[in-house]
This record gives sequence, C-alpha cells and structure tokens, in this order.
Amino acid sequence: MVSKAGKPSSQEILKKNVLNADLCTGCGACVNLCPYQVIYHDRTVQLHRCDLDDGKCRAFCPRWEIDLDLLRSSLCDSADLTPEIGAVKDYYLSRATDPKLREIAQHGGTVTALMELALTEGVIDSAIVSAGNHQQEQRGFKAIDKVSLQKNAGSKFTVSPIVAAFNQIAAENSGNVGVVATPCQALALAKMRLKPLQDDAGHIDKLKIVIGLFCGWTLAQEKFQALLLLNNINPATITGMDIPVGKKALVIKTGSGEKIISFDHVESCIREACRYCLDSTAEFADISVGSARFGNEWEEMRGWNQMIVRTARGSKLVDLALHRGILEVRKAPDGILKELKEAAAEKKRTALENIVKKSGSVKNLLYLNNSDPLVKKFMVKIKR
Amino acid sequence: MLKLLSPANREVLFMGNEAIARGALEAGVNVASGYPGTPSSEIIESLATVGKERNLYVEWSTNEKVALEVAAAASFAGLRSLCAMKQNGVNVASDFLLHLASSGTRGGIVLVTCEDPGALSSVNEGDSRYFARMLEIPLLEPANFQEAKDLTRWAFELSEEIRNIVVLRSVTRMSHASGNVICGKLPVKFRKAHFVYDGSIMDPLRGHVISTPVVAKHSLQQGKLKRATVLFENSPFNDYSGPKKPELLLITSSACFLYSREAIDMLNLQKRTGILKMDCTWPLPPKLLKKHLNSTDKIMIVEEVLPFLEENLKTLAAGMGKEIGIKTFYGKMDGTLPSVGELNPDVVAAALAKIMKVKHKSLPAAYTKELQKAAALIPARELTFCPGCPHRASFWNIHNAIALDGREGFVCGDIGCYAMGALFPATGYHTTPTLHSMGSGTGLASGFAKLAAFGFDKPILTVCGDSTFYHAVIPALINAQHNRADITFIVLDNSGTAMTGFQPHPGLTVSAMGELVPSVDIAGICKAIGANVAISDPFDLDGTCKILNSFVADKGSLNVLIMRQICALSPEKKGKKIFDVKVNEALCLGESCGCNRLCTRIFRCPALIWDRSKKKAVVDEVICAGCGVCYSICPQKAIIRTEAEKK
Amino acid sequence: MKVRLSKDSMNVIITGVGGQGNVLASRVLAGMLVNAGYYVTIGETFGMSQRGGSVMSHVRISQKAIRSPQMPLGSADIIIALEPVEALRVLIKYGNPDVAVLSNSRVVYPIGVITGELNYPSLTEIQNVLQKTTAKNWLLDATEDAVKLGNPVLSNIIMIGALSATDLLPIDRRSFEKEIAKNMTADKLRINMLAFDAGAKLI
Ligand SMILES: Cc1cc2nc3c(=O)[nH]c(=O)nc-3n(C[C@H](O)[C@H](O)[C@H](O)COP(=O)(O)OP(=O)(O)OC[C@H]3O[C@@H](n4cnc5c(N)ncnc54)[C@H](O)[C@@H]3O)c2cc1C
Ligand code: SF4
Ligand code: SF4
Ligand code: SF4
Ligand code: SF4
Repeated sequence: MVSKAGKPSSQEILKKNVLNADLCTGCGACVNLCPYQVIYHDRTVQLHRCDLDDGKCRAFCPRWEIDLDLLRSSLCDSADLTPEIGAVKDYYLSRATDPKLREIAQHGGTVTALMELALTEGVIDSAIVSAGNHQQEQRGFKAIDKVSLQKNAGSKFTVSPIVAAFNQIAAENSGNVGVVATPCQALALAKMRLKPLQDDAGHIDKLKIVIGLFCGWTLAQEKFQALLLLNNINPATITGMDIPVGKKALVIKTGSGEKIISFDHVESCIREACRYCLDSTAEFADISVGSARFGNEWEEMRGWNQMIVRTARGSKLVDLALHRGILEVRKAPDGILKELKEAAAEKKRTALENIVKKSGSVKNLLYLNNSDPLVKKFMVKIKR
Repeated sequence: MLKLLSPANREVLFMGNEAIARGALEAGVNVASGYPGTPSSEIIESLATVGKERNLYVEWSTNEKVALEVAAAASFAGLRSLCAMKQNGVNVASDFLLHLASSGTRGGIVLVTCEDPGALSSVNEGDSRYFARMLEIPLLEPANFQEAKDLTRWAFELSEEIRNIVVLRSVTRMSHASGNVICGKLPVKFRKAHFVYDGSIMDPLRGHVISTPVVAKHSLQQGKLKRATVLFENSPFNDYSGPKKPELLLITSSACFLYSREAIDMLNLQKRTGILKMDCTWPLPPKLLKKHLNSTDKIMIVEEVLPFLEENLKTLAAGMGKEIGIKTFYGKMDGTLPSVGELNPDVVAAALAKIMKVKHKSLPAAYTKELQKAAALIPARELTFCPGCPHRASFWNIHNAIALDGREGFVCGDIGCYAMGALFPATGYHTTPTLHSMGSGTGLASGFAKLAAFGFDKPILTVCGDSTFYHAVIPALINAQHNRADITFIVLDNSGTAMTGFQPHPGLTVSAMGELVPSVDIAGICKAIGANVAISDPFDLDGTCKILNSFVADKGSLNVLIMRQICALSPEKKGKKIFDVKVNEALCLGESCGCNRLCTRIFRCPALIWDRSKKKAVVDEVICAGCGVCYSICPQKAIIRTEAEKK
Repeated sequence: MKVRLSKDSMNVIITGVGGQGNVLASRVLAGMLVNAGYYVTIGETFGMSQRGGSVMSHVRISQKAIRSPQMPLGSADIIIALEPVEALRVLIKYGNPDVAVLSNSRVVYPIGVITGELNYPSLTEIQNVLQKTTAKNWLLDATEDAVKLGNPVLSNIIMIGALSATDLLPIDRRSFEKEIAKNMTADKLRINMLAFDAGAKLI
C-alpha cells in the first residue's frame, strides 16, 4: 500500500523488507501501537492495511535500517566497547545466592535475582518477563512482585514478543519498567532510546533497566509445537528445557520425566530470522546474562551464569546486588571471555554470510548498512 | 379490505407481482408455492396474506425444485396451483420440470419465473425462456399490468386445456413496477382434491402420472404444444397496433413492449411504425406471424435478454420464405440492440431513430454542459452492509481469523445479502473471491480443500445464510464430510431470508401463512452429518474470532460455526437501538498513527462518519442502528456505547 | 375531480438512499393519483440497492394510458429527493430546463466518502447546480422535522407534504389521508398526518 504522499507506507516497508523477507524476530516492537499490527502465536500479523508513511510501527524494528555504529556510539561508553560483544564494564560468573531461586531458574538465577532487586528497591515498578501458555506460546508478562517473577523464571526457547508488552505497559501509566530481553528485543529498545518518537509521551523514559539474555537462536512456536506433538510430548506438561553442553540435543523436562529431542529435528524449528542475527550477547542491554557452559565442568557450571555489565545503570544494580548479598560472583577462568568473544564473532560472520546469501550481493545487507565500520569488520572474509 | 381482494371492476394500483397473484386468485388457484428471490417474492407473499379468505394453501418451500413438486402434486389432484421463483430457480427446478413436462399435468399449473435483465438484484441475467423451448411447454409473457393479471388467469385455462404446465415469464420492470389494473371476478366455488390413477398409462386424466413410455408420452406432449399453437393463433393477448403497412414492424414482448411504445412516441413515429405485441412467445403461432411479416419488409425484434423471440421468428420466417419473401431483421443478432443488459425507451428509440433516419429532440447544449459539470460532483454510492448488520461483524471476524492464520485462506461466497462481501471486496474485507449460485460456496470449498495434494495448502472457508443452508447447501456439506474436505463452514444465521424481505424458512417456527410449524435445527443437521459445530454471536468479536482461529487451524475435520445474530432490518430489531453510540472526540486519534481511522477507513459502517474539518470520527445518530460493534474495534475506546433507553 | 394535467404524462422521480422509505413514498403518491382517476405507472429499483445504495422510483401519471416503467432520459417533470446528492444523480440523467426539484437537505454519506476515497459536494455546490439546471427547486431539512416527530424515516412523508404544497400535482391533504388510511392504524395515521402537515409548511 502506498501512502497519500505516494511513498510506501510504514506497514508496507515492514511487510516487504521484514515480514515477507523472513527477517521478523517477533520482538513485537511494531505491535500494540495501533489496531493494525498484532502478534498471533509468535508471528507478527498485519491485520488491515494502513497507509501512513511515517508510523511508529517501522520506527523501532530491529530488522530495518540499523546503524550499529551510531547506536553504539550514542548509547555506550566508548571506552568499554569491544567489536564482538559490545560494551563491557565488568564480566563475571555469577549466581543468585538463594539456592531455592537457583533451583527454579534456568542457570544461576542471576536474571530473576536482579529483577527482584530492581523491584524491591523501587528502581522499577514492574518487570516484563516471558510467560508461556500450554502451547509454548509466549507473551510479555508484567511481573510486579517476587512471586510472579519466580513463576516465570527459566528459559523459553520460543520467541516472546516482549517489546509488544513494553509498548502496552509503558502506555498504561503504571510507573517505571524493567525488561528481560533477547538481543533483538534489546536492539529494538535501544532504537527507542536513541530516537524516541515525539508523541510517545515519554514512554521510553520509563524503561529503567534492560537485562539481556545471551541468545543463539529461538524456535518458531508453531513448528516447535508440531515437533513436540510428533514426539508425543504434550506442550502443556513442559516444566523446563535445556541444552546441555556437548549433547547436541534439547532436553525437555516434563511432569513425567525428561525427554530428549535430537538437534537435527530441533534445528528445523529455528526461526528463520535468527539466521540473520549478529548479536549473541544482547549488546544493547544494561546487563547481559548467559549460561556458563565451559567444556567439561558442565554439571557444576550449569548453576552459574556469565554476566556482562554494560552500562552505568547496569553497574549500579549489580553493585547493589553484591552489596546486599543477593548475587555471588566469581572470576571467570582464563580464556573464557576470549572464547565468548570468538563465539560472538562467529555468529556475526555467519549471520552476515547468510544475509549476503539472501540479498545476493555484498552491497545489500538488508537491514544493515555496509558502510557501518562494525559490519565491515566482520565482512572481511565474505566474498561474492 | 385487502387490495388483493378488491371487488370486480374496481380499478387499483397493482405491482406486477400483485397483478399476477390477483390473476391466480381469479383463476381459483388452490395451492401456491415458491422460493423467495427478487423480483418474484411478492407473488407468494401477497397470496399468503389472503390464504385463509381464499381457501388457499401457500408455502415457502425449501427450494424451487421442491416448490414445483408441491405445486405439481396439487395439479395431479385436479387442483389449480401456481409456483413462483426467480429465474435462477428455474435452473434448480429444471430437473423436475423436464419430467413434469413429459408426464403432463391435470389441474391448471403455472410456473411463474421472474427474471432480472440487467441483473439489478441478481448475479446473472439468465433468460429462462429457453427452458420452454427445450422442455417443450408453452410460454406466456405479459406486457403490462392488466395483462399480468389476465394472462395469469388464462394460463391456468391453457394448462388445463392442454394438460401440461405453462410458464409465465415476468421481468423486474414488470414484477416490480406498478400500474392500474381493473379487477375481475373472484370465483365463489373452491375445488376438491381427487387423485385418480386407475386408468391406462396413456390416459392423461386417469393413468399413472409418469413420463414413460417415454417416446409415446413425448409424442403426446408435442401434441399438446401443437394445441397451444392453435390457441395462440387467435389469442387476443397477441395484439397489433399501428398502420396497416408499417415501414417498420416492431415485434416485442414483456416490458419491452412498453419501452417500444414509448420510443415510438418519443420519435413521433406512430404513423410509420407498428408494434406486434406477443404475449404468447412459445411456440410462436405461424399464421399470425405470417400475416404480420407480410405487411412489411423491415422487422425489429425488441426483447430481453437473449434473442429468443428473434431466433424463433427467423426460424419461422425461413420456413415460409417463399410466401413472405426476403425480410430485413433488426435486433440483437445484428447488433441493432445491445445483446446484454436491460433495455429502456432510450435504447429502443436510439435504434429506431437509426433505422427510420429520424432525430430525437435533444436538450439545449448549454444545459447539457451544466449537467456534465454537475456529474463530476456526484460521489458514487456503493452498496454496503446496513448499519448494525451482523454480516459486517461476521466478515470482520472472518477476515481477522484468515489474516492471523497467515496462509492466505479465503472464503467461497454464496447468495444472500452477504454476497456483498464478494461483490464489493472492501465490504467483505477482501476475504471472498468467489460467488456463484445458491449453495455453490460449500461445493466449491469442498473442492478447493481437496487441492492440498497439489500444493494448495490454504484454509478454505465458506459462508451461507440460514435460508440458503436449507435450499442447497446440505448435499455439499455432506459431500465435504464424506470426502474429508477440511473446510470451515460458516452459517450467517440472521433468522430470516433478509435479502428478499424476511420470508420464513425451515429454521423458523412460522409458516408463510403465519401458522406455527416445527423448525428444523441447522446445528442438529450439521452434527448429524458429523461436523464439529459451534455457535457464536458475531458481535462478540473476541469470542467468535477465537473459535474461528481454532477452526481454521484445525486439520482433519469439518468445522461448522453458526454465527447467530438477527438482521438489523428485521421487524423485531428495526428502529430499536441496543446502544446509544457516540465518539469521544478527546480520545479519538483520527488519522494519526495509532489508529489511522480504523472505523471509517476499514470497518466502514455507514453510520460512522469522518468529519474532515475536525479530523475526528462522528456517529450519525440518525443512521446508527445501535449495534455497538464499533465500540469493540476502536483502539482508543473513543467510541462510547451506553445502553439505549427502551422505547 | 380529475384535473387536467399540464402535460401528459407527468413524470415524477422519487429518489433516495436504500432504507429512506422511497418505495412507500412512491406508492402513496401513486395511490392518491389512481384514486383521482389517472393512469399511474411506477417503475422501482429495489432489492439489492436497498442496502445503502441509490434507489429511485419513476412515477408516471397519464390521462391516457399506462407508460413505460422507465421514463426516457431528460424527461422528468418533478424530482423528489430524500437525499441531496441523489437529487443530482437523478437530475443529470433525467433533468431538463423545466424540471422542478424538491430535495431533503440531510446528507447520507456514501461509503466511499466515509472512507475518504471520494468527495461529497457542499450544500452550496448542490444549491448552485439546482439553480442553474432547474426551473424551480426547494432544499428542505425534512429529516430534522422527522426526527422531531420521533422517527427519521418520516422524512419521506414530509417530502410528500411539501410536494402537495407546491401545487405541481393534483394532490392534497384529503387525498393523502384517504390513501394512507387504507393500511394504517389510527396511531400511525396521526403521526403521518403530522408529517404531511410539517412538509406542507416547509414550502
Ligand atoms: C531463546 C533463548 C536462547 C538462549 N540462548 C542462549 C545461548 O545460546 N547461550 C547462552 O549462554 N545463553 C542462552 N540463553 C540464556 C539462558 O538460557 C538463560 O536465560 C540465562 O543464562 C539466564 O539464566 P538465569 O538462570 O539467570 O535465568 P532466570 O533467572 O531463569 O530468568 C530467565 C528470565 O528470562 C525470561 N525469559 C525466558 N525466556 C525468554 C524469552 N524467550 N524471551 C525473553 N525473555 C525470556 C524469563 O521470563 C525470566 O525472567 C538463551 C535464552 C533464551 C530465552
Ligand atoms: S503504527 Fe501507525 S503507521 Fe504503523 S500500522 Fe499502526 S497506525 Fe499505521
Ligand atoms: S522484528 Fe519486531 S519490529 Fe520488526 S517486524 Fe518483527 S516484530 Fe515487528
Ligand atoms: S477507531 Fe476510534 S480512535 Fe480511531 S478514528 Fe475511529 S473513533 Fe477515532
Ligand atoms: S453502533 Fe457503531 S457499528 Fe453499530 S450501527 Fe452504530 S455506528 Fe455502526
């Protein structure tokens, strides 16, 4: 659809360049802003045609017109910047001191512990986390206390439209907000912070903390649902999932024990958009948290997280957590950070390779800019 | 006192359809049946209003074929019966009609078909006169309102005379036009039914009523047609007016007679042209036509829609070439008159002017110019669902379910008000790309759903109204279930045959004559077929959409959703608002990002107006039906609804 | 009582938007004239067009015979419009320098105007066209009076009342009452008479 000015409408831009190009991450940044864009399962659907050409929907999409260099230089301390994993103020192995929390958390419970603290300290009034239903369908959930936070701990490997929930909750006048976000979602939020819309009534200022999750990929909900059914797993009975190091399989914990699905099958459910994602550590979060998956020490390390503190407000929260004894940290073994960076660089290179494959030209990097210095750095080996 | 029962010699204003009904009453009709369809419905409707007084049995049948069977039974029992339908209905009834024409009839029976040249309220402009020729039965076409009555009455006599069914054909401009009619006498005695079948098989009045032995009965049937031809030769219904030797002879039938006469008046050609008005158009009476063909060399045939009369006339003329010589025929076949669409006085006058080399007086050029300027100001007025129409909400739900599903599913449309969803794409929110005959949506859906093996993996939906469901959908639905076609079948149940004016149907508990009758439950039928059935109120957008989503995603079963909400125009609802609705201007986002006029740009209820100067949506209280659905779609909750005071 | 018509036939078009009571208006008018001894032919378009579309009835009054239910282009003597743009729509096809137009001024927006694809002319523009192309014209707010009487659909009767006051046709209050009393309860008759009178006052 073209706008009155004869330009492609915002919706059309998203449709052509993101949705139909299989680049949509399902972040939900374009959702809950108007009646036209909605999330169904984990897909972004354009319900009706809209002909506006400078709309909110395309403003924050993490897969449209991304200037990584500008985002980094504007939002991070330049001294902290690394090409592979963004800004690093501090890097730890961490875990919640509360063993009960660790029990229900994915790994060390760092994320939940930090959010709990932000809530109790009044840094935020609500935290947006991911809540799933019986179909492994995720929605951003507004947690306002410890109980609801803990209830939604653990990783959901299907996409959660977290930013859609942010759009809605920020418009509700219910105070300051913290968000647990995957890298693409953190990117969308970063775009909002960089260039808020005039009419968003200060929504983005309510965003007080973003805790990013490391992320290799997510699963497409409808495909995953079908895979579960094929393996005789009732999605409603799932209590947790994990990818143990070196096993090449997805372990699914259900009420009646563990089931294992080989990676060969799981891979076919990976969301197509993830193949074009450069970020594995949520570079635009205030704090990023991942697993501490180091080779042979898995059984011990699975109870720990890697944690990158990226911003001043991230530091403040982590320092407070340490001070209060909510988190415990230890120094990461030698070479681990390097390993993380290498893995992150690898994801960047692979994604760029996939992007070039898709566009058919090194000049066309889809949502990225080929003159972006950071992009250039990881493009070196790619020739076409 | 009902106008339809006016005493003899009283002059009244009758609609063509009322005149036909009155003619049937004067003929002492005993049984009348039909299926509603514009422009035919008022015939059965008006007969139903006098059923009790006139000792009549009147019914709306489930479809036209059944209606004809019901009427035929009365004829077999020696009663007089009339069966009325729109042209499409003749197609439905034609299978039985063929057999009936071969078996013959007893009491007078008349099939009235009301056709729609130009398709003013149809999706085709079919011409069913060809059925008369193909099935070898007589055809009558009244050319004014008086004749609509008189010819109907005579049709019963003709039918009894030849012991076969007679077709009376009307058109929109006759059925839905009105004019003065002088009433005749209504009979005082009523017939009794007797069905006798103890005679020889060839005995038309005492044998079995059956089309076998086929060849012998066929020959008998053709004899009847010959007898009709003889009667037609001297029928006063075929009438010539004009000079003895006209330069041009117009041969015409039905409303085209009125157009022709008007055209002659417009051009002042009364002295140079003559009109042969043919009411008896099949089989054509050869002697009468020979006489008139001999009066001139130039003949123009004026008729709608196809060149039926023209073909038959030319065939006749070819057979009498030696006696009448070579003639020039003008009509549809040579392009003198348009071969499609309806005619009118201007079209006929234009053709006449060309042939007769005269000019039609025209308006002053300056005036015409002003009119042309004005024309540019006039916005087109597209048809749409009424304010408060349940179909708008239904299509909204359907659209959303299809969009969410994301596989580009679509709806096979069907016949009823909801056909507008197909006729005007934006009205159906671009969901419905097909539209054919009644019940065909389900059959088509059933077929589309079997194309998955060819890489066509889309959810297939279909809609039908409650009346259409009984009419022709059930076999297609059984087909879908039996052949495992996974479709989402949606019944748009608005409790009546809204399109044609709320005639009762088998889902209701009242008959055409206002009697209490058992209703036949659609959900029960669908369940018995083996479908998964749900019922929702389309005004409940969330609830309905949820069910639809699950149905559309479901593979492996036939799903039926009955969306139930009474038509906004139905007598029980009309003029009664459930809600008072208005827009809170302060909240309305208008065309800004965040709404961009969802209500006026996309939802399109005629009562939601866009105020261009304020840039806000407004509810036109005079037009608003108070359904409150728009309240549910507004993202800002700017549309406020409050329970309306009960009037 | 039959008055000689100034012209044979007199051609009247009643137009409006589906649902405005166009059909009833034409039948009532025709009924009055049949009672007065004229031949009247009405040609109606309804059915599908009732659904928010343009509707019109051709009413043709003659002392001699039934006429074609569709009148020739450019041959309307009187146009009665229940909606102003519909007056123009009919006028551009059936108008002539001698035509008289009575139109309700209350607008019913076509869906294309609502969605913003089409423009609706201003009442001034409509008035200008009427001034230039008609012999006589009246633009009346019949709907407002109808709403005052409790039902917007009464605007059709108000227009008939107005027509009677113009003396363009041999109809009057008494002939109206006689015609509608045939099919109406006393209550309905009363409100319809009020509407008729309100219309007559508008001229
Ligand atoms: C899809 C996905 C892929 C991941 N891939 C990697 C990886 O490749 N390498 C790696 O080191 N770590 C990965 N992680 C991160 C890891 O699984 C843990 O989430 C992280 O270590 C935090 O652990 P924790 O014990 O602190 O989490 P918890 O204390 O259990 O808290 C986790 C928080 O994340 C929220 N959450 C869960 N799922 C989602 C989701 N889909 N979207 C947004 N929020 C969510 C929960 O609601 C909860 O608030 C991934 C996480 C996800 C969700
Ligand atoms: S966000 Fe704005 S531009 Fe985008 S679809 Fe919604 S209303 Fe249109
Ligand atoms: S990536 Fe996010 S913002 Fe972009 S289209 Fe998908 S859901 Fe919308
Ligand atoms: S949908 Fe609501 S906010 Fe949008 S234009 Fe209509 S009334 Fe205004
Ligand atoms: S309530 Fe809303 S949707 Fe219903 S008729 Fe009125 S304006 Fe239209």
